[in-house]
Amino acid sequence: MKKWLARLSALSVALVIAGQGQMALAQEPAAGKKIVRVGATQAVDSMNPFLAVRLISTSVHRWMFGYLTVPDSKTLKPSPDLAESWTSSPDGLTWTFKIRQAKWSDGKPVTADDAAWTFNKIMTDEAAKTANGPAVENFESVTAAGQDLTIKLKAPQASMLENPIPIMPKHVWEGVTDIAKFEAEQYPAVSSGPFIATEHKKDQYVKLKANPDYWRGKPKIDELQVIFYDNPAAAIIGLKKGDIDLIGRLAPSDFQALAGDANIEQWNKQGRRAAYLQINHGATTTDDKPVGDGHPALKDPKVRTALHHAIDKAKLVAEVQNGLAKPADGSIVPPMYTDFFWEAAGEEKISYDPAVANKILEEAGYKKGADGVRTMPDGKKKLEFRFSIHTDTPVEDKLAEYLTGFFKEIGITLTTNRLDSSKFTEETGVTGLFDIAISGWSVNPDPEEVLATHLCSRRPNAAGEGGGTESFYCNPDFEKLYQEQLKELDRPKRAEIIKQMQKKLYTDAPVIAIYYPNDLEGYRKGTITSVTSIPEGDGIIYGGSSYWPFYTLDAKATAAGGSGSGAGGSNTGLIIGIVAAVVVVGGVGFFLVRRRKGVADERE
Amino acid sequence: MTAPLEAIEPAAEQAAGPGDERPAYRGPLRYVAVKAGGAVLSIGMVIIGTFFLFRMLPGDPVRALAQGRNMTPAQLDLERRRLGLDKPLFDQFLDFLTGTLRLDLGTSYEYKRPVLDLIVDRLPATILLAGTALVVAVGLGVWQGTKAGWRRGSRFDRFSTSTSLIFWSVPTFWLGLLLMMALGNGIGPIPGIFPTRGIESVDAPDGFAYVLDVGMHMVLPVLTMVGVVYAQYLLVMRSSLLDEVGQDYITTARAKGLRDDQVRRRHAVPNALLPTVTLVFMRIGFVVGGAVTVEAIFTWPGLGQLFYRAIKVPDFTLMQGTFMLLCVSVILMNTLADVVYHVLDPRVRSA
Amino acid sequence: MTTVAWARRKMAFGRFWTTFRRQPAGVVGLGILVVAVVLALIAPLFIDDSVTSVVSDTGKSFGAPGTDSALGNDESGRSILELIWWGSRTSLLIGFLAAALAMVIGTVIGIASGHFRGWIGAALMRVTDWFLVLPSLVTALVLAAILGGSMTTIIVAIGVTAWPSTARLIRAQTLAVEARPYIERSKALGAGHWHVMTKHVLPNVAPLLLASTTLEVASAIVTESTLAFLGVSSNKTSWGTMLRGSYDWNAASNGAWWYIVIPGLCIVAVVMAFTLVGRALEAVLNPRLR
Repeated sequence: MKKWLARLSALSVALVIAGQGQMALAQEPAAGKKIVRVGATQAVDSMNPFLAVRLISTSVHRWMFGYLTVPDSKTLKPSPDLAESWTSSPDGLTWTFKIRQAKWSDGKPVTADDAAWTFNKIMTDEAAKTANGPAVENFESVTAAGQDLTIKLKAPQASMLENPIPIMPKHVWEGVTDIAKFEAEQYPAVSSGPFIATEHKKDQYVKLKANPDYWRGKPKIDELQVIFYDNPAAAIIGLKKGDIDLIGRLAPSDFQALAGDANIEQWNKQGRRAAYLQINHGATTTDDKPVGDGHPALKDPKVRTALHHAIDKAKLVAEVQNGLAKPADGSIVPPMYTDFFWEAAGEEKISYDPAVANKILEEAGYKKGADGVRTMPDGKKKLEFRFSIHTDTPVEDKLAEYLTGFFKEIGITLTTNRLDSSKFTEETGVTGLFDIAISGWSVNPDPEEVLATHLCSRRPNAAGEGGGTESFYCNPDFEKLYQEQLKELDRPKRAEIIKQMQKKLYTDAPVIAIYYPNDLEGYRKGTITSVTSIPEGDGIIYGGSSYWPFYTLDAKATAAGGSGSGAGGSNTGLIIGIVAAVVVVGGVGFFLVRRRKGVADERE
Repeated sequence: MTAPLEAIEPAAEQAAGPGDERPAYRGPLRYVAVKAGGAVLSIGMVIIGTFFLFRMLPGDPVRALAQGRNMTPAQLDLERRRLGLDKPLFDQFLDFLTGTLRLDLGTSYEYKRPVLDLIVDRLPATILLAGTALVVAVGLGVWQGTKAGWRRGSRFDRFSTSTSLIFWSVPTFWLGLLLMMALGNGIGPIPGIFPTRGIESVDAPDGFAYVLDVGMHMVLPVLTMVGVVYAQYLLVMRSSLLDEVGQDYITTARAKGLRDDQVRRRHAVPNALLPTVTLVFMRIGFVVGGAVTVEAIFTWPGLGQLFYRAIKVPDFTLMQGTFMLLCVSVILMNTLADVVYHVLDPRVRSA
Repeated sequence: MTTVAWARRKMAFGRFWTTFRRQPAGVVGLGILVVAVVLALIAPLFIDDSVTSVVSDTGKSFGAPGTDSALGNDESGRSILELIWWGSRTSLLIGFLAAALAMVIGTVIGIASGHFRGWIGAALMRVTDWFLVLPSLVTALVLAAILGGSMTTIIVAIGVTAWPSTARLIRAQTLAVEARPYIERSKALGAGHWHVMTKHVLPNVAPLLLASTTLEVASAIVTESTLAFLGVSSNKTSWGTMLRGSYDWNAASNGAWWYIVIPGLCIVAVVMAFTLVGRALEAVLNPRLR
């Protein structure tokens, strides 16, 4: 027993010594540089911008590459990026962009040819369409002459200036034969944006250094590191301990866990997301044939309105989002986009009132049965709806629990149907096998894309395939308004049309908006001395659709100390793996030898 | 905890088991050949089983792959042809078989890379974690089991056996989360000195300091894995030592005038180790299974994490590849265990 | 069954119980088990599914123990005590049913492979060995991911991956029983396969089966919680889903230790109890281990 205690104490001493070593080590390589470490609960899926689809990857690419335009840091309106100016023909079909004089990080000039190559690659190569295929769907041709880039469109497109495609260096990328297999793991990466990626260790981290020759000027910080966590709780611990300096897109409970920490600034602003319910109001294909197995009662607008009345949005915000969201009295465009945001007021506003909901249902002939559940007016089918959500999303699970409770009050049974993301997309977007589904959209500064998800043409085709609808909605007025806003190049007039479209969605209720979640982030005050969100003031830091916050970020230089950074880690990891394997095999060998010896002893 | 404790007994029995219907093997080579044949058969069954298991998936696999991307019907058809899903089931099976035999496990949807590359990338980290945990757990289990078994009923015996049983009853992920809160974040007087994610610091130093850095990152995951699995080594060591204590040769050794310590070290322990050695190999698969939760909690970039991610997406090609690899490696380990056991234990050899 | 046979069985059980009582750990375990099972069974007399409702009758989110409920609240202000009580039904049910499934498959295959020599036995053994080496947690995860999450899926996923060790144990025991002379006699008197297997082998392996199943239940409860943590759950409140909830809602960083610790301790206590009882049963049946 004594020996045992001695060993235990030796172990703890060793651990403490090792612990101190660790603390010393962590500071060493920083050496007077301004380094900001960003935590993320997602890992980069690919460093190839033609393939990458995750938010973390597109964010990193926004820091690395230039785009034609970038949302203005104050107004979010398109402003010059790599294109310093542009003109469009009167019919809106021909656009000419003037590419600015800038340099790739390897010293070669940026030309219109780079941009033309990038767009043409996506237009001609199936694999290159993976990330941003739809953005070039309407392109007829793209040509370059010197610094002038000419894009010819098949039809007018107001969102032309919000193109989400990073311009790639042609001289580096044209040699790539198979885009689908190209990982783009060559560092330092040739880029034209504020940061240059210098290292990526898969599922662990990405390191970027400031681009000294960036045409807007070198960023204020020297190095940006993105560190991945599988476990959000570990990320919160990391922020509190100082392993990371900033983390965005926090869940409400994680955000609240940061409260009271003197070192951490809690960032709680309006978000760019709208959360809504998608109602199967009679799903059809593009040839207007019914598809799926939606509950017939939901075809009745009165039932949809009753459901809307039964939802206590304020309670949902308070208890599902911990008060960190705004109840939605509007539609699919969040209030952050003040130009396009529409909100119901007065008569047309549908407020929480179960009594009204019950009255509507009662009058429409949906009578309650003995078990308290209403039936169809013909008395055949009970009002029992399925609620489709994604697996493994705690907020949606919680939401389902609340909605079940709300609808029970008005005699409607709701059962939760958890689906993995692929099945979810299929059943709620293509085959129509749902009654009510959770939905939501992170809206870009230009809401065109989210509006388009409610067009007739987005429904699945006659063969029951494809599409990309968020609601199976098909309304001639909505279509007409959509076409009008496409052609309307005057921004205030266009905003007015877009508001009418939202009103249409609100009253028809193919979707019911429930709330707009806030953008929740946190950063360490000690390290990050100044940060400018997008839009400036009350905007987003991480996950916004531009590089501004990270370009303008300033940080305290870390204390001077040793030098050098850790390269060549992967080999070392391999070596350690091999050493461990040797230890295992050696251990077995040792037993073996011992055993042999034992046998020999026995035979003596 | 991943498997019932009682599985330990038959595990030992399997190798030492009654040689009733086994043919009389003529030599170790012959034995190895038979075992290798069995392993090949098992691996074949794994490959066939995997194919049909993953064809049981409900829904259209191409849509599953498309994952909400806007694909035209033409694109969907193209994808279907590319994946060979338009062919009859038997042809698909042949394609799958030849692909697997050529080590072509398909391309991951999520990572857009060949599954085999992804697996090879992450193998070292898992070997490092699971290997270290295994060595520590076996060492701790054998040491405590020996002491407990030798002095049965002593305070040490009762203490260590019940402690190990408590740890054995703890869900791995729960232990991991508690350890992270206590030693990663720090509670009260305990400082949070250990890193909570990954295999190394982002600015990892070079040389020996790097080894130290990785070592620090390993503390929590290894502790978690060891805590849950060491009980089985302790218990099997203890019970097989109890077996040996009653044997005649121990009495003889004592009669020879050897000290108690010597009898234990030189006679009882080496013989009692046999079931433990077998158990080590038998349980490799379960160590890897435990790695799934531990790696997910501590963001350890190994196979377990890869598998966990594949389930989340879900990325079926990746799931299929990792699943097959895990099964095959366990089969190989077990075959090795059988052979080692056969070589080690003269009783089995003569059977 | 004749009264003589009954009396004999009763006596055997009496002997068994006398020996079992001498295992203090086993008795403690049995005590905990009886309490847990009885509580789970009588739960509907006091509470119902409404304790899991987030809409009605809730308290403060992450309320501390002693404020509005004895063991504190979860993220939606539901009482942890009531959730634990109600959730014990799901956890224990999954544990028992999965173990029962494993027991049935294991017994049938174990006895059959021990009874039928020749190729049938060999083939069954081959299949058992194959299942035995599959990494059970990984296999259960794949099964559950493919079949979708529901109570049945979870039970099947656990049961299907847990039976091989039972089968091995039963087979070894079957071989031992069938080697006894009275089986030979019985066969000579014209007893068929079915008679030998059900009338002679089964009663003889039953005690061992009980011990093995008890341990299996312990394992199944832990596996259920692990599956729930990894995102595969039965959509019903269980101890595993509660732990998952504490993780999802970051109870740790919000200081709600009771939400993490209490369900975990419940799992440990019940699993420990099953393990102790199982080991005590084994010890009773196999004096060497005592």
